[in-house]
Amino acid sequence: MFRRVLGKTLGFVGYTIQYGCIAHCAFEYIGEFVVCSGPSMEPTIINHDVVFSERMSRHLCKIQKGDIVIAKSPYDPNMNICKRVIGLEGDKVCTSSPSDLFKTHTYVPKGHVWLEGDNLRNSTDSRSYGPIPYALIRGRVCLKVTKYIDIYNIKKTANVSFCNIRKLVMIRSHVYGF
Amino acid sequence: MFRRVLGKTLGFVGYTIQYGCIAHCAFEYIGEFVVCSGPSMEPTIINHDVVFSERMSRHLCKIQKGDIVIAKSPYDPNMNICKRVIGLEGDKVCTSSPSDLFKTHTYVPKGHVWLEGDNLRNSTDSRSYGPIPYALIRGRVCLKSLAAVRGVLGHSFLRSVIFFTFHAILPLALTLTDGA
Repeated sequence: MFRRVLGKTLGFVGYTIQYGCIAHCAFEYIGEFVVCSGPSMEPTIINHDVVFSERMSRHLCKIQKGDIVIAKSPYDPNMNICKRVIGLEGDKVCTSSPSDLFKTHTYVPKGHVWLEGDNLRNSTDSRSYGPIPYALIRGRVCLKVTKYIDIYNIKKTANVSFCNIRKLVMIRSHVYGF
Repeated sequence: MFRRVLGKTLGFVGYTIQYGCIAHCAFEYIGEFVVCSGPSMEPTIINHDVVFSERMSRHLCKIQKGDIVIAKSPYDPNMNICKRVIGLEGDKVCTSSPSDLFKTHTYVPKGHVWLEGDNLRNSTDSRSYGPIPYALIRGRVCLKSLAAVRGVLGHSFLRSVIFFTFHAILPLALTLTDGA
């Protein structure tokens, strides 16, 4: 009796570990959903937006200028940050604020990237902590899931007419071009 | 016939993916063997030494000053470096070389560590690229497995057992108690 219970428990634990590992590898190599908080990427990504970040670009080193990336914070290893890539290694970036009289520039060192938030007035990014190593990047944001939830709500409430279909097509193409 | 072959192939691929994922998670959360190359950690770790680096300390943020760590290189995301932690966040570290007349110091910023190799004359470390973010650290080196293997091959049986116990099991036990 006790043996049967122990056997079943061990089997259950074994299955949990097995599928936990597979899920972890899926999140590690394919992609994951991320809830963004904070105003630093407005109006592109608003507080509490859900985005999908894919991991393949980071592992294949295909992150490009203009991509929005999720990276580990250089100040806190347990926090993640969501910023836009402004410069890759070797690029010249402007470090002074737009109101300064004399512009200062710097070159992004090898193996680093320069990140900035879209909401420049309210963003702690490379202008404060400097360029961050490429290895801190976790993934590239490829679509905003909240937009799809909004489309579903529009479909439910309004009658599907020709004008609404055109609006849906425009919204969807805007998300894919993200 | 074709269906059976396809079924068996898919089953094999399924098992490979399954056990590959379990192995990957074991390397990610428990530890992995690393082959070190380069002279920057001599005489502690020589070129081509095999070391075991455990991951739990990094995930639980228990890396301490004096630990030897494996970290991702800040210059190349595909390369790893093996250095000793000289300073944690907030510590004051000396940035000038021993031959300089005037000593310069710097404070390690929040969330960063200062790494230096044991072979100071032949090591590219934080003295060149500055402090690195803690998140770049992969694991802590806890034992050198090649030393135990060398001992087993070169000594008599009893002495080699004692040597192996002293150099492999005891550090592992000490590591586990340190981390607790």
